[in-house]
Amino acid sequence: MAAHPIALATLRPKLFGRRASGLLVHAVLIGLGFLYMYPFLWILASSFKEPSEFFRSGLSLIPQHLSLDNYVYAWQAGGFSTYFLNTVVVAVATTALVILLTSMAGYVLSKTSFPGKRVILGGMVALMFLPGGYTIIPTFDLVQKLGLLNTLWSIILVQAAGGLIFNTLLFIGFFATIGKEVEEAALVDGANLPQTYWHIMLPMARPMIATVGLFQFMSNWNSFWIPLVFTLGNSSLRTLAVGMYAFVGENSTGWTYVAAGAVMSILPIMTVFFFLQRFFIEAVAGAIKG
Amino acid sequence: MALRSTTLNPGVDWLLLRNPPPFWRAVKKHFWSYVFLLPMLALVSLFVVYPLVASLHITLYDWNGIGNPTRYVGLKHFFAVARDPLFWQAFQHTFTYAVVLVPIQLTIALILALVLNNPHLRGSTIYRAIYFSPVVTSAALVGIVMSMLVGSVGSEVNTRLMEAGILSQPIDVLGDPRFALAAIIGVGIWHTLGYNLVYFLAGLQSIPQQIYEAADVDGAGPIAKFLFVTVPMLREVGLVILFLAILGSLQVFDLVLVMTGGGPYFSSEVVSTYIYHYAFTPASIQAESNVGYASAAALFMGIMVMGLTLLQLVAVRYARQRQSERKGKQAG
Repeated sequence: MAAHPIALATLRPKLFGRRASGLLVHAVLIGLGFLYMYPFLWILASSFKEPSEFFRSGLSLIPQHLSLDNYVYAWQAGGFSTYFLNTVVVAVATTALVILLTSMAGYVLSKTSFPGKRVILGGMVALMFLPGGYTIIPTFDLVQKLGLLNTLWSIILVQAAGGLIFNTLLFIGFFATIGKEVEEAALVDGANLPQTYWHIMLPMARPMIATVGLFQFMSNWNSFWIPLVFTLGNSSLRTLAVGMYAFVGENSTGWTYVAAGAVMSILPIMTVFFFLQRFFIEAVAGAIKG
Repeated sequence: MALRSTTLNPGVDWLLLRNPPPFWRAVKKHFWSYVFLLPMLALVSLFVVYPLVASLHITLYDWNGIGNPTRYVGLKHFFAVARDPLFWQAFQHTFTYAVVLVPIQLTIALILALVLNNPHLRGSTIYRAIYFSPVVTSAALVGIVMSMLVGSVGSEVNTRLMEAGILSQPIDVLGDPRFALAAIIGVGIWHTLGYNLVYFLAGLQSIPQQIYEAADVDGAGPIAKFLFVTVPMLREVGLVILFLAILGSLQVFDLVLVMTGGGPYFSSEVVSTYIYHYAFTPASIQAESNVGYASAAALFMGIMVMGLTLLQLVAVRYARQRQSERKGKQAG
């Protein structure tokens, strides 16, 4: 934004004081920002250190030599190759499932009026306000009875189900902003509902797909409680967060290995965040405005 | 009933969907709508609605989680939960966590948001991204990293303090009942501050610039503008932020389990770890696995949280009404 010339002129007498206080603000923000990022920088540095150096150098951010031994150990002996793959599979599958189901449901709930629509909408809104997270026990029981225990499917389905209602409501809101002409044009061309959804509505919903996808991916990559409970009996299904928890329990002295594991768990999602940070933040901000 | 209705022609039509009445015609016409809804509804019914209903049922049984619950005990578990001092201790810790974390976090977030909202500040998007970044990492990972960091910082500080003669023996922050919960609260503030920062920024940006310009004309200084423009205009969004923060912090689980497991001596046990211990790792609290009991405790807490959610709805509606009344007055 270019400053208005008149506004600039009135500011000029104060400019020196403003610049000095501006520098002070930047100094404080940078200092605090460094402290804020310190835990991440510290764990990154620790992941390259040898165990003895880790204990000697304590809080230093610069490792004496860059050794990848910790990564090799965590990836091979620590089981992180499995955890990493499991996390990718769970996060991608859950995100895809949520996007598909909620965009389909959101589309018909927004654009068609059929008997029972009000009941479904009412039920969804009511469920939104019931607290989640306290029903893990019957969920566990159900998964067991469905024969899904000790499969990645249990995590994918339970996690996806948890995100369906909120995201369907988001898609309803989004499709409501698309004018009726678009759909009517498709119907004139002889398209049926699935065709209209797939070829016209879904491509138009790209911004909402990005928002829902980003959030689902982030929360699924990070989720702990559900994968923890559903992998209690099978360590080969652990995700990164659960694997880390177990890894700490088994390696209570191998802190540099734990550090390498932590970096492998955090770095992918951090990278995604810094590349797409504008979208992340806009999506969060959108949640409070809506 | 069914038999009698077949003697009437409309009834036969009804059953065979031949020349159907308007309702069925509408259902048939919207066949695809139902197909599109079905997968979503099926998953929600299975993994959201059913567990809600079933958890009510489980609370009435003594059950170790294997097979089907058979020993009906009525409301016994609810009385036992209400009488268990460990539950109330966990309950108190949960509320302490929320009551300490929320005001500190929201104050810092609001101050940061006011600073970053300055349009003359360069690089505010970079600062925003930095302060937001912990949010994108998992609480479990953050808990592990922070436990390690607390250990490293602790050993450094302990050596210094002991050299200076202030301490006679080292303090293990996470292993000390006096400090464990406080340390978790500190990490919690750091971890989710970014959400509230971005919420407040969104709230600040929604305040029309003209109001500030009008205040400038009236000769209002920065403090007057904050008190008489920003605060009233933020009230509605602020209330939503406040309740989201409270509800989120009442559900704390990952951080506690990873950093202390609720210990030492239950000094950082919160309701969610209490439930987890009873349901899944009873050995850690020297108890028998009692899923019925754990479910009763979960339901107990769930009802509390739901009560708070309803309170939030009422409060937000009230604030919205007052705000629109004020706007109405200004217009009139």
